[in-house]
Amino acid sequence: MNELLNVRNLKVIFPTERGIVRAVEGVDLHVKPGECIAIVGESGCGKSVTSLAMMKLLSSPPALMQADEMTFDGKNLLQLSEKQMLDIRGKDMSMIFQDALTALNPVMTIGRQLDEMFMRHTNMTRKEAMSASINALHLVGVPGPERRYFDYPHQLSGGMRQRVLIAMAFAIKPKLIIADEPTTALDVTIQAQVLDVLRKLQKENGTALILITHDLSVVAHMADRVYVMYCGKIVEHAPLRDLFTHPKHPYTQGLLSSVPHLSDESNRFVQIPDNVPSPLKKPSGCYFHTRCAYCTQECKERMPRLTDIGGDRMLRCHHPLGGE
Amino acid sequence: MSDNNTLLRTENLCVWFPVRRALPFGQKRYVKAVDNVSITIKKGETFGLVGESGCGKSTLANTLLGMQKPTDGKVIFKGQDLNALSNKEFKEARRDMQMIFQDPFSSLDPRWDVYRLISEPMYIRGGYTKEQMEAEVLRLLHLVGLNEDDLHRYPSEFSGGQRQRIGIARAISLHPDFLVCDEPVSALDVSVHAQILNLLMELQQELNMTYLFISHNLAVVKDLCKNLCVMYLGQVMEAGDTQTIFHNPLHPYTRSLLSAVLSVNLDEKRERMVLNGDIPIPIDAPRGCRFCTRCPFASARCFQETPQLTPQGENHLVACHFPGIGMEK
Repeated sequence: MNELLNVRNLKVIFPTERGIVRAVEGVDLHVKPGECIAIVGESGCGKSVTSLAMMKLLSSPPALMQADEMTFDGKNLLQLSEKQMLDIRGKDMSMIFQDALTALNPVMTIGRQLDEMFMRHTNMTRKEAMSASINALHLVGVPGPERRYFDYPHQLSGGMRQRVLIAMAFAIKPKLIIADEPTTALDVTIQAQVLDVLRKLQKENGTALILITHDLSVVAHMADRVYVMYCGKIVEHAPLRDLFTHPKHPYTQGLLSSVPHLSDESNRFVQIPDNVPSPLKKPSGCYFHTRCAYCTQECKERMPRLTDIGGDRMLRCHHPLGGE
Repeated sequence: MSDNNTLLRTENLCVWFPVRRALPFGQKRYVKAVDNVSITIKKGETFGLVGESGCGKSTLANTLLGMQKPTDGKVIFKGQDLNALSNKEFKEARRDMQMIFQDPFSSLDPRWDVYRLISEPMYIRGGYTKEQMEAEVLRLLHLVGLNEDDLHRYPSEFSGGQRQRIGIARAISLHPDFLVCDEPVSALDVSVHAQILNLLMELQQELNMTYLFISHNLAVVKDLCKNLCVMYLGQVMEAGDTQTIFHNPLHPYTRSLLSAVLSVNLDEKRERMVLNGDIPIPIDAPRGCRFCTRCPFASARCFQETPQLTPQGENHLVACHFPGIGMEK
């Protein structure tokens, strides 16, 4: 009962001219207040669609969404009207998008865009909203927030724009923030700064955070628990340390070893062979079998179930690494 | 300096862009995108160029390929000064130098199929019959790990990694000696990085090419490059042998870049040095050391006097007044 967000059997499909794309196939996940979870996977595995579905931001048509349960903070999101969702979005749950330049309005100053948040969700006057916005910019480490308040998005650097988005997401102190690849478009040095800001604000405000990324090194820096997604299904779920020290799914292991290391001396980059299969033509059996080094006949024929393997871990694999 | 092993070198290369003046009689100002850079790239090696966005990496690459005229200094490719060549000679020389772009989504024309994309350089060069061209495109497709089924598909049908393979096939279609890879993996998923980097390494061995590899992530460069050059605001901060720089980084900027690389090893303890602020706007770059505004160890001298690139041991150059300052040990 103490879960902030509870999603059971979430499915999203897109009917297209070339067939039905099953973007998300029965995802279960839950988030406790104040914790940071990560959803990891390659492009096209359905992680962004999952997050948009939880915010009810998928436009329908074309998307069709279905779930057995989707509760947030005691409210059943499935039954809320669009008008009620507008009150929740930004106030109780908000989102940080990947590309800050397209997420911000180019013809409005960033100050005005921040003001909008306060004026929509609280009873602040314009003047109060302005000082609140400047304070929010200050909290995310934008230098000279009084001057920056009057800047347009194009006048800021990529890292600064991402900070503005973070300021906007934290403005009303929501209970849950979904960050969709918040640092992918940034340089490594700026990435480190932005992640530090994000983590500091998350801890100070006790906000729950869903971090969506393809980069496990970002996850190692931030998350408490990790869900690994592949082709619309969760293939592994584990607490951070367990996942990183003893990955059980071959896909997780592949993702882990593909991160370039500074320390080891090998001269080749470890790769997962092939590409993510097209969502129109998913393979039979286990979706990962076409790229898996441990594939057997059973894997080609039967999709493994997501089973509880103890220690708060779930796994979808016939042949887990490191024994049963 | 210029021996037979050198493929390309620059001599005090400067690229300055004039800034429009606020008043007609105001002082003329410049963005010094590349300022006094001298590098030497040897035949068959992979030369790494590292730095944040806005440090002049891409401008330098464009200048090396002759797409940007230098304000001062020379680019010498295979013993000839690129900017002294006639148009015809330049076109000849340019055939031997090609480029792989960062974003495989915008560098491929969405209305062209794979065959047309890859054959375009051959078409421009001329002298191929239709059969030759087709055979050549197929050979290139196999070389980069695609197959003939892909020949008449459009870029939108491919994933990011596959698109980058198409871009690579196009770049090597005229058998260049020199290939500039401008952040070839930073727009891709981490899991695809390895595929593309391994492909580039295989192709280099097979086709005997020289790479200039541009990146902002030192972890990617480490295994790929023999020599390395770290740039900041248009100037070289540290240069030399990759292994030496990784084991003994002497410039504070190099160390901050190293510490910014996140690791998947939860127990690894490394020096954390997160820089404050962004790279400054390079109009009227600061006097003294370019890095002084963000350097945690900057002292009065750093604001007054520009440090010169000075040798610190064999094949290791550092532009810092206090190399190795504040290092543990």
